[in-house]
Amino acid sequence: MSYADLAVPSRALHLWRYTPWARIHPSTVDDVPSADPVRWEVGDGGVLAEATPRAQGSPDIARTFLAESNPSVWALRCSPDAPTVHVRAVASGHVAVGHLHIVAEGDATVVVHLSGEADWAGLHITAEVSDNVRFAYGLVNELSVNSKLLRCEDWTVGRDADVQHASLSMGGFRCKNDLRTRFTAPGSRLTQAVSVHGRGERHVDHHLEIHHDVGRTDSSLTVHSACDDRSHAIATGLLTIAEQANHCDAGQVFKNLLLSEKARAEAIPELEVLADEVAAAHGAASAPLDPNQMHYLMSRGLDAQESAALIVEGFMHDGFSSLTNSDLLEALRTRLTVHLECELKR
Amino acid sequence: MNMAEEILRVENLHVKVEDTPILHGLSLTVNRGEKHVIMGRNGAGKSTLASVIMGHPAYEITEGEVFFMGRPLDELDVFERARAGIFLSFQYPAVIPGVQVGTFLKKSVQSVRQEAVKARAFRQELNAAMDTLDMQKSVLSRYVNDGFSGGEKKRLEILQMLLLKPNLALLDETDSGLDIDALRIVAKGINQIAPDAGCLIITHYQRLLDHVKPDFVHVMIDGQLVMSGGPELALKLEEQGYDWLDATEVEA
Repeated sequence: MSYADLAVPSRALHLWRYTPWARIHPSTVDDVPSADPVRWEVGDGGVLAEATPRAQGSPDIARTFLAESNPSVWALRCSPDAPTVHVRAVASGHVAVGHLHIVAEGDATVVVHLSGEADWAGLHITAEVSDNVRFAYGLVNELSVNSKLLRCEDWTVGRDADVQHASLSMGGFRCKNDLRTRFTAPGSRLTQAVSVHGRGERHVDHHLEIHHDVGRTDSSLTVHSACDDRSHAIATGLLTIAEQANHCDAGQVFKNLLLSEKARAEAIPELEVLADEVAAAHGAASAPLDPNQMHYLMSRGLDAQESAALIVEGFMHDGFSSLTNSDLLEALRTRLTVHLECELKR
Repeated sequence: MNMAEEILRVENLHVKVEDTPILHGLSLTVNRGEKHVIMGRNGAGKSTLASVIMGHPAYEITEGEVFFMGRPLDELDVFERARAGIFLSFQYPAVIPGVQVGTFLKKSVQSVRQEAVKARAFRQELNAAMDTLDMQKSVLSRYVNDGFSGGEKKRLEILQMLLLKPNLALLDETDSGLDIDALRIVAKGINQIAPDAGCLIITHYQRLLDHVKPDFVHVMIDGQLVMSGGPELALKLEEQGYDWLDATEVEA
């Protein structure tokens, strides 16, 4: 089905409630503008090769739009025993679109750094994690503060695989993230973590779907959003456990730190559990800066601005505390610290 | 004879929280090198005194004044008090998730000293202080007070005190929740900084004073210091409690 055949999705769906298609589309919703390709650069341990376009599953307006804007696909393979593979995705021009397919046939750590000055960036990342593979992946969004981003990801996780999936969102003006993971075989685990730094008028929407189609699969999702100024962070989670998918253990936690009176954050976990013998939990909390934490840090010589910055940094790091891959954590920590130090100097 | 150097002078201090008066005309002077102990029942106002000196915004001074090294404290924000050399070991230190202890200590030392700290020199200083307190280096990568036991929190407070080298150390029930070995180690830390600082130690128990010899012991009841004496006063309180002081007050 082509983009022209698809109806503009209803705002009644969680996915489109807070960032409707018209607000994230680069022009008008009837249009598929010509797009420049996202430029990919891969560091040591990774190899990029052009791949064949992937067949679309169920018709989805965002994925169809991205495929029609730029049908080319690049496949990333990691060398066995490679250190962390850093992939740079640079989005330039008016509209830039890229599709990266990650071939996760062996243990690896991949960090994608998204940057560039494009007015509008579209990114589609797909990955099939093979059986018994331990795969760690992070995406660091460092786009220009004026960019719009549409990011879709589709992951499938094989038998006894372990996936650590992190998103660090610091760039872009309006960002729509639609990240979906599907368990296809038992014994596998997903640990997914998202940290968002909202400032200025930034609008960051994460829609996170995790589908337990088979039993004996575990997932944990943690989303931390720190919102300052007039920024707006949204996180909607959709966790499904199929009827026969017993013995799953799944949890979602959403936390928001509100740093100004005009900052806003929504956290909407949603569970559809059809199996009986499962553990599924969710929680959401929003709070301003804790005055006791502020007093404690100020009593150690940090002024109010430094104290608040350290609390924000800690809050965002804490969003990744469920991850255990030290290389991935180090990469995220480094980028976050640099970003926040630059923010403090503004 | 050397003149004592005044570190802290509290004059007729009245303090309230919201609309509740807590301190009612408290006066106290602490000189450099002196260890003052304040004892008293729960709710007497001991922690309030420490919090007010540190500048906690919840407390309002309604009368009286506090001077630190001759300077009125109300001129200074909390972080300026810390940089001037006031240190409070909190009874309930805040948990700061996501902030590693090592990072926090370095930022704190840099802030208080107002200079960039060289990594190697700081590491040596930190190692020495941690050895004094028999602390595992692994604590440096943990998040500040996150998942710490009561004893670990108190040791971390004392570690900060050793690194920050304050002129005035306020220790708010630093001994509570400590086992015998931890108590001895924490006392070692206090004794290390005591000769160069004024110390105000808030405690419920004589047992800390077996390891930290006080120069003065004060008893606080209902927001006032009602009696002062030497170490023997702490022993008497341990044996007899505070009821006899109520009788003394009535007689007075």
